[in-house]
Amino acid sequence: MTIKKTYEEINKKIKKGEAVVVTAEEIIPIVEEKGVEKAAEEIDVVTTGTFGPMCSSGAIINFGHSDPPIRMQKVWLNDVEAYAGLAAVDAYIGATQISESRGMEYGGAHVIEDLISGREIKLRALSNGTDCYPRREIETHITKESINQAVLFNPRNSYQNYNVAINTSDRKIYTYMGILLPKMGNANYCTSGQLSPLLNDPKFITIGVGTRIFLGGAQGYVVWEGTQFCPMSLKTDDGKTVYRGGTLAVIGDLKEMSPDYIRAAIFKGYGVSLLVGIGVPIPILNSEVMKYVAVKDEDIYTEIVDYSFPRLNRPSLGWVNYKQLREGRIRVRGKDVPTSPLSSYAKAREIAQKLKEKILKGEFLLQEPIQKFPKEREFKPLLEIR
Amino acid sequence: MLKKKVIFTFSSENVERPVTYQLIKKYDLWVNILQAKFKPSLGGKLVLELKGDEKQIKEGLDFVRQIGVQVELLEQEVLWDEKKCVDCGACVSICSTGVLSLDKVTYKLKFDYEKCIVCGNCVEACPLGAIKVTF
Ligand code: SF4
Ligand code: SF4
Repeated sequence: MTIKKTYEEINKKIKKGEAVVVTAEEIIPIVEEKGVEKAAEEIDVVTTGTFGPMCSSGAIINFGHSDPPIRMQKVWLNDVEAYAGLAAVDAYIGATQISESRGMEYGGAHVIEDLISGREIKLRALSNGTDCYPRREIETHITKESINQAVLFNPRNSYQNYNVAINTSDRKIYTYMGILLPKMGNANYCTSGQLSPLLNDPKFITIGVGTRIFLGGAQGYVVWEGTQFCPMSLKTDDGKTVYRGGTLAVIGDLKEMSPDYIRAAIFKGYGVSLLVGIGVPIPILNSEVMKYVAVKDEDIYTEIVDYSFPRLNRPSLGWVNYKQLREGRIRVRGKDVPTSPLSSYAKAREIAQKLKEKILKGEFLLQEPIQKFPKEREFKPLLEIR
Repeated sequence: MLKKKVIFTFSSENVERPVTYQLIKKYDLWVNILQAKFKPSLGGKLVLELKGDEKQIKEGLDFVRQIGVQVELLEQEVLWDEKKCVDCGACVSICSTGVLSLDKVTYKLKFDYEKCIVCGNCVEACPLGAIKVTF
């Protein structure tokens, strides 16, 4: 007999405090012991987590109107430019924009972290002035309490699977994958593997538009497929299936978030990024869903890519699994190379635990997607047409 | 008992001298090699941690200077701000001496200060600014 559960049934159990919830790590030995069918019967929700640099992030802010009013056309927050080409007092502060006075040591991500932490931010705005918005300049201070809305809206987060970056050249290089030492001196990877949200539901059976998630310590939502979404799996030469192109666009109330789960980061020589903590609950609707959440680090493969090659398609140096990566050393072309994660496994685990506790306490209910993601998407390069 | 971290720089003239052997044998010092880089016949660099009697350390270092080896004391210190650290591990693979590692059970960062040679590599690798070198 195959088990089937609905969102309503699971939510009913959550409300009664009867739901059985475990993390994506805890489920592994359970499935090993009981098998997929039995585990699917007993477990209602599996929680996942990730905490890593997610560059395609930012916040929509509405400052409120000054008197006399201004239609802000250029906006700076702590000297970091925010995009103000929408209405009068709305702006979007992107995480990777850097400060005009301090350069790479402070950026949009820091503005976001400072806002969440309740710190005061200097706002400067310029305008041409209109009959209805006569003011041409303003300089003042804001906090998250003083403004109307502050909404984190990240167009591409929670990458399903990411490359391992390595450098075969003779010089140290500074990348968004961290510092890469010459002659394959180190290798950096960036996924929480068996805990990672989109590796636990690789075919998007349960995750779609409307899924309620843990975002930066608050409740958030998946609002669309992430940019560059490309859900099709691929096969390695020796026949292993690899999922890697899924991404999420997510939204949540920045005012409710915590600096424990949203942090600014500086990748030296590259720039500023935002570390985002995301947890996605996966409802065990049937045994197929259970089969996927039982995935282990040793079954998840990723490609080693040479970042010293300055082109779009970089050479591959083979495949490794997350168990090998997490052990701290991998072998590449016969060389023993130390590895670094960039994405915090300890934090990912903390997020999955936290989400589990919230569900167990009945504070977090599951939301069925109102629309599924597409099964196919082309990953287009940018052509230069003259 | 005193502890000191030192850097010895050898030239082609003195690179063959059995310095560590002498420090142990003659001056009764406890010697831990933190890093060694040598090009035979050209010279090299040795980073050591010495433990022993204050007088013995002083005399030992005088002896090393006498044979023409340049001696530098490592007075700097690396400070790790655990509160800022998110255990991302970006610093781990950049540290050649194995000071930094992620615990196999908790996956939290472990900092083994004893082995640190204050090279500063981890400072630039940490995206959170959680590691600093002080003078
Ligand atoms: S300064 Fe940092 S990188 Fe250098 S040895 Fe010490 S811990 Fe390792
Ligand atoms: S790079 Fe910085 S934040 Fe990351 S583990 Fe090392 S000290 Fe902690």
